[in-house]
Amino acid sequence: MSDPSLTPQPTSSTDTPGSTEVFEFPSALDDPHVVLPVPAATVDSLTPARSALGDSQRWLLSFYRTSEISGALFFGRLARAQRPGPIQQDLTRHFADEAQHARYWTDCLDELGVAPLKLGVAYQDQYLSAAGMPANLMEVLAITSVFERRVINQYARHLTVAELEPAVIRTLNKIMEDERWHISWVRQALKDMGPEYGEDHVKATVRRFEQADREVYAATIREHEERVSFVLDHSGRAR
Amino acid sequence: MSMNTVATDVVGRIAEIVRRPVSALQLDTPLSSVAPDSFVLVEIVIELQEEFGVRFDHDDMRDLRTVGDVVALLESRLPR
Repeated sequence: MSDPSLTPQPTSSTDTPGSTEVFEFPSALDDPHVVLPVPAATVDSLTPARSALGDSQRWLLSFYRTSEISGALFFGRLARAQRPGPIQQDLTRHFADEAQHARYWTDCLDELGVAPLKLGVAYQDQYLSAAGMPANLMEVLAITSVFERRVINQYARHLTVAELEPAVIRTLNKIMEDERWHISWVRQALKDMGPEYGEDHVKATVRRFEQADREVYAATIREHEERVSFVLDHSGRAR
Repeated sequence: MSMNTVATDVVGRIAEIVRRPVSALQLDTPLSSVAPDSFVLVEIVIELQEEFGVRFDHDDMRDLRTVGDVVALLESRLPR
């Protein structure tokens, strides 16, 4: 099923020399269906992998790995807390995906000949501080919807970097496939919660977390500007 | 400080989640010492809502400092 209105639209200005399209994925509640594009870059279009990974990319891939581990731990806890039912089932699959993604990044770094950096803080740790603790399952899913869109946008942006190693592209594409499902099921679950929590309240909660997300992302970019500039310089500024 | 039935159930459930003996948790035990990781705190509040069939709201989270605060919040949401 493919509805053009649901396809994320390129947002970066094309009048900037050297700028590359950055995909903006639709808001969590725009539509229950998700049709997200597979980014243009594919393994087939790549130059051969380099033997040494730059420090910045090694740090960023390690950062992704750490965030996926934190996501797995978070969703594992949620899956454990839920009663049997469709949401427990989806949370369990989500938890398993995140753990698998951490494995993919670990394997990717290994294939590139470097060990993952041990990073103390994951993106999610700052997230809850800025957004406030989710108080109930709806709020957990609202923060998840915002976070997942951030992740898939970041991965799509990373794919626009020139001369990426094939292992990186392969890993990004593989993970983004799962992320599309994450966004889809969470969006549907939030929609289904509308009658119970109030549709306006659900939307307001998503907006609250979107605001926090923008703050955390901007702060993260500021803090690690040197390490992530190879992504930002190529594809645009932090949103 | 003695505990009523609800408090005993809540403290017991929290103890299970954080894998501590029930005797290590009192009503005045700070949540920060029970759940230093905010993910653990999320699990506690979600699990208690599931278990007791109540719902917490965003504003409720601001005032949670101790195990006793969680007990009081949950008791306030139970049907009378």
